[in-house]
Amino acid sequence: MSQVTHASEDVGRDGSRREAALYVRRTLRAGQRIAHDGDVVVLGDVHAGAEIRAAGDVLVFGQLRGVVHAGADGGDGAMVCAWRLQPLQLRIGHVIARPPDAYEDVPDAPEIARVEHGQVVIERAARPEDGRMARG
Amino acid sequence: MGEVIVITSGKGGVGKTTTTANLGVALAQLGLKTCLVDADIGLRNLDVVLGLENRIVYDLVDVVEGFCRLRQALIRDKRLEGLSLLPAAQTKDKTSVTPEQMRGVTEELRAEFDYVLVDSPAGIEQGFKNAIAGADHALIVATPEVASVRDADRIIGLLEAAEIPPARLIVNRLRPGMVRKGDMMSVDDIVDILAIDLIGVVPEDEQIVVTTNRGEPAALSQGSRAGEAYRAVARRIRGEEVPFAEFGEPAGLFGRLRRMFGQA
Repeated sequence: MSQVTHASEDVGRDGSRREAALYVRRTLRAGQRIAHDGDVVVLGDVHAGAEIRAAGDVLVFGQLRGVVHAGADGGDGAMVCAWRLQPLQLRIGHVIARPPDAYEDVPDAPEIARVEHGQVVIERAARPEDGRMARG
Repeated sequence: MGEVIVITSGKGGVGKTTTTANLGVALAQLGLKTCLVDADIGLRNLDVVLGLENRIVYDLVDVVEGFCRLRQALIRDKRLEGLSLLPAAQTKDKTSVTPEQMRGVTEELRAEFDYVLVDSPAGIEQGFKNAIAGADHALIVATPEVASVRDADRIIGLLEAAEIPPARLIVNRLRPGMVRKGDMMSVDDIVDILAIDLIGVVPEDEQIVVTTNRGEPAALSQGSRAGEAYRAVARRIRGEEVPFAEFGEPAGLFGRLRRMFGQA
């Protein structure tokens, strides 16, 4: 990407401009809500009952148990990544997903959720063989 | 100068008032001058649980409206030296007191008492805001139910926003048998979700129903499991290291690590 990025701006993967990433340096508890016109990075947990709405990607360096909407301005190309991805509900762009009703073990590893063919798919965030981030 | 501690939960019916009454008794038994403040204006209960209902002359609203001096409204418990109650008004509502006035009352009380325990009403509105206004610390009461834990999480967030230092958790009405069978959330589960320090685990105890209805908090007499648990909480409030009883597994290493991370 050859474009110059202003300090207060960021460039999305599709080349669109938006606000710089918002860093949330605490745990979000029930009833707390973050809305941002860009990417959101949480250095903490997102508890059940908390809500994040981001125009871009959402990265959670902790447990994600709340509701997250990435690509909230309609960007199906956005992704959600968390150390432990176990949200109550996940929205990416126009797609809404929720975990299966039957209890499923959440893998003890970071995961990425993104949209493929109109469906939310979840995969390990890192390839164990080389430790690199998985690219869809 | 004494410490002002608010006892709160978000959800109703989890045992805030019972907890306040029993902690008041247990602290007074340790020889500490303790004042209980009923901040649940319009739905006062703390006086009933303490068996002091028939001695109320003035109440919290009378104090803030200047109808009486604070000292006149305080009721001394005859059973226990050092325990006093500032009752709520029954005929007014939460808007009769402002957070500023509440802070004034707790400031005046802390000059005379070692501990001032404020019994918060359920909810997150005016009554809650009044109850936390003058508090140095908070104790969160939660029962092992999803709704109670969710509300506790909300309350902890609001306390953080109000810059009241990290709240400590009392898990109330735990049924160890059900936990063992996997039918009830364990203390570890709750501590993992809320990511705050645990200060007490109170088991379900039928004695609480009996003693509460009689106006004699369980902690007054020996032989009640819940009363015993409340006495342990009182000693932890005072700063003593009291081991948790076998039903109250403290947070493991994982819980501690998460907590450090959560407050980064």
